[in-house]
Amino acid sequence: MNFATGDALYIAPILILALAGLLLVLAEAFYTGKDRTALAGLAVAGGVAAAVASIALYRHLDPGQHRYLYGEMLVADRTGYALSALLSVVIALAALVAPAHMRAHDWAIGEYFGILLLAGTGMLMLAHASHLATVFLGVETMSIGVYVMTALRRRSRRGNEAAMKYFLMGAFATGFLLYGMALVYGATGTTSLVAVRERLASGNLALLTVGTFLMVAAFAFKVAAVPFHMWAPDAYEGAPTPVTAFMAAAVKVAAVAAMIRVFGQFLGGEKLPYGTLGWASPMVVLAAITITVGNIAAIRQDNVKRMLAYSSISHGGVLLVGLCAMGLGSPSGQSALVYYLIAYALTTMGAFAVVSYVGSKQNERLGIDDWAGLASKHPAAALAMTVCLLSLGGMPPTGGFFAKWYVFKSAMDAQDQQLLWVTIIGVVNSAVSIFYYLKLVTAMYFKDATGEFTPSRSAGLTFTMALCAVVVLAMGLFPTTWLGFGG
Amino acid sequence: MNPTGGFVLPVILALPLLGALFVMLTPRGEGSIARGVGLVVSTATFVMSLLVLRYFDGKAAGYQLTTDAVWVKSLGIHMKLGIDGISLWLVLLTTFLTPLTLLAATKSIEKHVREFVAAFLVLETGMLGAFVSLDLFVFYVFWEVMLIPMYLLIGIWGGQRRLYASIKFVLYTMVGSLLMLVAIFYLYVQHGQVTGIYTTELTHITETGQTLGLAHLVLPHDAQVWCFAAFALAFAIKIPLFPLHTWLPDAHVEAPTPGSVILAGVLLKLGIYGFIRLAMPLFPHGAAVLAPYIAILAVVGIVYGAVVAFAQDDVKKLVAYSSVSHLGFCAIGLFSLTVSGIEGSIYAMLSHGLTTGGLFLGIGMLYERRHTRRLAEYGGIWKQMPVFSGLYLIIVMGSAGLPGLSGFVGEFLSLFGTFNAGDTFPTNWPHYLPSPRLLAAISTTGVILGAIYLLFMFQKVFFGPLDKAKNGHLPDLSIREKAVFLPLVVLIFVLGFFPRPFLAKMEPSVKAFIADYHEKLAEPDGPARMMNAEGSPDALKAKLEGAAAKLDAAAARLGGNAGGQP
Repeated sequence: MNFATGDALYIAPILILALAGLLLVLAEAFYTGKDRTALAGLAVAGGVAAAVASIALYRHLDPGQHRYLYGEMLVADRTGYALSALLSVVIALAALVAPAHMRAHDWAIGEYFGILLLAGTGMLMLAHASHLATVFLGVETMSIGVYVMTALRRRSRRGNEAAMKYFLMGAFATGFLLYGMALVYGATGTTSLVAVRERLASGNLALLTVGTFLMVAAFAFKVAAVPFHMWAPDAYEGAPTPVTAFMAAAVKVAAVAAMIRVFGQFLGGEKLPYGTLGWASPMVVLAAITITVGNIAAIRQDNVKRMLAYSSISHGGVLLVGLCAMGLGSPSGQSALVYYLIAYALTTMGAFAVVSYVGSKQNERLGIDDWAGLASKHPAAALAMTVCLLSLGGMPPTGGFFAKWYVFKSAMDAQDQQLLWVTIIGVVNSAVSIFYYLKLVTAMYFKDATGEFTPSRSAGLTFTMALCAVVVLAMGLFPTTWLGFGG
Repeated sequence: MNPTGGFVLPVILALPLLGALFVMLTPRGEGSIARGVGLVVSTATFVMSLLVLRYFDGKAAGYQLTTDAVWVKSLGIHMKLGIDGISLWLVLLTTFLTPLTLLAATKSIEKHVREFVAAFLVLETGMLGAFVSLDLFVFYVFWEVMLIPMYLLIGIWGGQRRLYASIKFVLYTMVGSLLMLVAIFYLYVQHGQVTGIYTTELTHITETGQTLGLAHLVLPHDAQVWCFAAFALAFAIKIPLFPLHTWLPDAHVEAPTPGSVILAGVLLKLGIYGFIRLAMPLFPHGAAVLAPYIAILAVVGIVYGAVVAFAQDDVKKLVAYSSVSHLGFCAIGLFSLTVSGIEGSIYAMLSHGLTTGGLFLGIGMLYERRHTRRLAEYGGIWKQMPVFSGLYLIIVMGSAGLPGLSGFVGEFLSLFGTFNAGDTFPTNWPHYLPSPRLLAAISTTGVILGAIYLLFMFQKVFFGPLDKAKNGHLPDLSIREKAVFLPLVVLIFVLGFFPRPFLAKMEPSVKAFIADYHEKLAEPDGPARMMNAEGSPDALKAKLEGAAAKLDAAAARLGGNAGGQP
């Protein structure tokens, strides 16, 4: 391998996050002040700096241009930097919303911020991965960080159970991933995805098929696709709300970013060379089941966090549809996915920020009934939540609507019978999802308040809610600006 | 075509929306300020919409007052607006009913007035947008945007079972419209793959015979049937056709008076309008296959709605079922595919908007005085409220289709059209289905039944002894209420006595619509392709070759890329 010195410049966002993360770990050890939430500032600065660096690099590259770094370990292109910027912003927001929640629920643990940025390092790596080794490294760096974050509230039973479940399931997924990678290596004799692509046609079909199927299963764990979703509702409910927001928004974006690289670009992108047994066939089925089960399970929830967890599962299904479309050669697949990820991540972040805001001291107010009458007491928060819920439900004029339109349109564009069916299933499911999203809107607007709200206020929280709601609306009204990020 | 006047449509779309934003800036709890702003804005919108008449050329078919702005360039989505003889009167109906309804809502809406006015104005923009948009995507956006304010209207200001009714309303409408979305995707992708141009702009995909030289997309016949079915489901739920009507009585009963007025007055019309503007021109073969069944459902709805209305004790429910019955006339007239049938259908929509709007407004005024909607609680009201009773009688008669009032013209024309449809309408009318003449005959019983239940209702409320103590001291109409009723009553008379000017403006568009439909129906089955309006083989061949070249270029581009991923 030849190590070009200029390559370090291209991984600046990753380096910034890693450095800031290490610095935070040190700072937390030597910091003597009582209020650990003060560390949030540094974490936010790290996230913002990484985002700025990503955007600068994004502008530095031309559309369509790409450059392999450190051999073929990482790839620098516009799509990668768009996703890096998105992930960095989500990381910064996750640091921004945390202090209020920490103060209200007594879990001011300084490690949160360091782990947040270090997990983020893995995520950014996934957005740029072009080698099975970097994919694995990224997945593990991200996952181990998130396991720890889930368990941060040491005295919470639910938190411990959730983290344990998440960790065990995740370990399985890692096994699948490694085994799949080994088989792909066996079939093609290389771990560089660039070289794997060149040797697809000549590789052993059976090994390749089993290998890619196993990798699909491993990533299905990470995006919480049914039937690999069991950990998600518990982990989402058990983790502190800022961590849940981070898991729902960033982990899903990073996992899908890795899938865009591995499946969309290197193992797909045209009609699959290995015929109908390609990975898209199981993925289409997973997508259809995921969308349906996620939505139907969400209807029955009366805990807001669990409802959003199932909703996020069903959104994972839609993302899988987009991946299949991309893998089967739909020209707009990739840009649809990137747009969807931006809309989904910011919407989810906004929704969880409101959840965090509504919870009062020692009482998280997670039941849907606890939200009754929010609109009359705190109209701005209710409005922000409504915008986010409508976007999640795919109602115009929000970013979520346009994202769904674009993903399903790209699925139809792939001219594939299976995708037509999964599109119909997905679209019909949108109607189902409206039911449970509106359940919350109904509680906020149509019912009378049962008690006083004492929200956990902080400037960071307010900023996050406002930013997410405004961007989600802007994405729906002026989609052109945001469409270009997908390349 | 008149090039001037393109500004009118964007302005009448923007005015209510800006008004809604402005209303939200007025101080909280100051209901009268919000009401005032709402009235001024909606009246200004109405006045602006009258400008449409000034610029509209009544002798021309095709879209007029068009404006076109690119919304999403990479996806070919255009903010294209335009109006023709079919949508013209529906737009005016919307802008006319909105200020009246806001004026009438002064008493019935007392909490969250500011939010009410804002929701109402957003609703107006949604409805107008759906009527004037000439882009499938934009149409769909407006179509869905309408749902949210209506959901809020029912849910916040509604009656006892408002939660149930509001969710039911949204879910029914969503399920239907989402399948339409799939059909839009299909159409969009097919058009993109045949021509190489991805666009949702309606005039690109289908051109009427008036704009010769431009081509339209022809889909395989079975695909047309599926797509038409998907669109038809969305529109049939909105109309609503039997047996998809069950959301309507709930929504009407629970909605506050202004919500009911707009729901019956305008929203339901969007279903019929969707058939005319989108489903039938886009998928004519699908329409030909499914039209008989829709026509039969419409007739069932006419009779069923009338019979069920007769059995109601709740006045609002009675009028809600009468809507099911009346909209059936619009549907059957439309599917007769004769000039008089379609004109009758549109005319019946206008009349229904005025009369049923008036019926609901009247019920609202009674409700404000007595706080009940049960027929059994009333009786002898005429003695207490003679002015109200007289005006209400005219509206009831207009709804029942008394000659000389608005309802008669539309129902007569659509039945006349259906009766004469025998030869033209069902090109493949299955022999085991009742003939159009029989359908028209059955529908006519709906007119009689309509007269029966409406007069029965009127008699129970206004005549008879004044034997309930609570009915003893009802004040007659205030000046504000008279101001609400008078324009309605005048228009009901005008539409009844002078249908000609209204029909004349529709006629070129309706004729073009029918000619276009029959032209397209003659096209042979085959894979998705472009046809020019005359269907000349040479032009077609050139078009196809052009498309093929574009496809080849696209394929080459893709093939070249494939190796170099990412």
